[in-house]
Amino acid sequence: MTALRPLALLAAAAAVLSAQQLKFNLDYLAAKATDSVDLSLNGATLQFAARFLSSKDADESKVKKMIASLDGIYIRTFEFKDAGAWSPADLEGVRQQLRGAEWSRIVGVKSGQEGENAEIYVRSENKKINGVAILVSGPKELTIVNIVGPVDLDSLASLGGHLGIPKVEITKPK
Amino acid sequence: MDWLEQELKNTLARKDPPPDFAGRVLRGAGRRVPSSVWRHSRWLAAAAAVVVITGGAAAWREHRGLVAKEQVMLAFRIAAVKINHIQAHIQEAAR
Repeated sequence: MTALRPLALLAAAAAVLSAQQLKFNLDYLAAKATDSVDLSLNGATLQFAARFLSSKDADESKVKKMIASLDGIYIRTFEFKDAGAWSPADLEGVRQQLRGAEWSRIVGVKSGQEGENAEIYVRSENKKINGVAILVSGPKELTIVNIVGPVDLDSLASLGGHLGIPKVEITKPK
Repeated sequence: MDWLEQELKNTLARKDPPPDFAGRVLRGAGRRVPSSVWRHSRWLAAAAAVVVITGGAAAWREHRGLVAKEQVMLAFRIAAVKINHIQAHIQEAAR
């Protein structure tokens, strides 16, 4: 039984890694950060959490619907006190993975004034979106989001005005 | 000595136990608990343990569920904030 334990652990680790489409090991940045969030929610955890999300609450019901088809959500965010606490090389490993054929960048925003970069990538297979990666970096901030599964970005964006998120009014060009 | 003092004195006065008292106490202490009572108490203890374990497991599961729910809500909050932020930048650039 004890001999099988390492194998079981390896299998569990492999299952976690296979669900996560992007691998980011940025744990070393946590020591420099004033605030950091590390969320690794695999499919089983999402489905378990769904049982505790109320269908009567508007926000929770929206999230419940969205996670029904997801296989995982992986997030790392860091906030730093001073600029320059992280280097572009820290993100290079993630960017390299996003250069793969299955990923395509749909949005890239660069703010010269604030020194912010924001990108959204979608991963598709057989012409169907099965993952999203969001990279947001600023002098004092670094966020990587990987949502695994069929993601509807409109639904995700529509959470603005909910969950305590201020709503951004998007005016369509005439 | 008034009547109250007298009453107290009478009530609290040392009284010897009845002659067979020590024997009765020793016989009671040595008496074995009937086996049916012992068997029932074992079942009761087992049932209580099952209730406690089941209740504890349910409470733990509930706790884990609420933690998972909070994590999911936080994940969506972060993702939605970032997407909204990007949308705001796009909108700003379009102006």
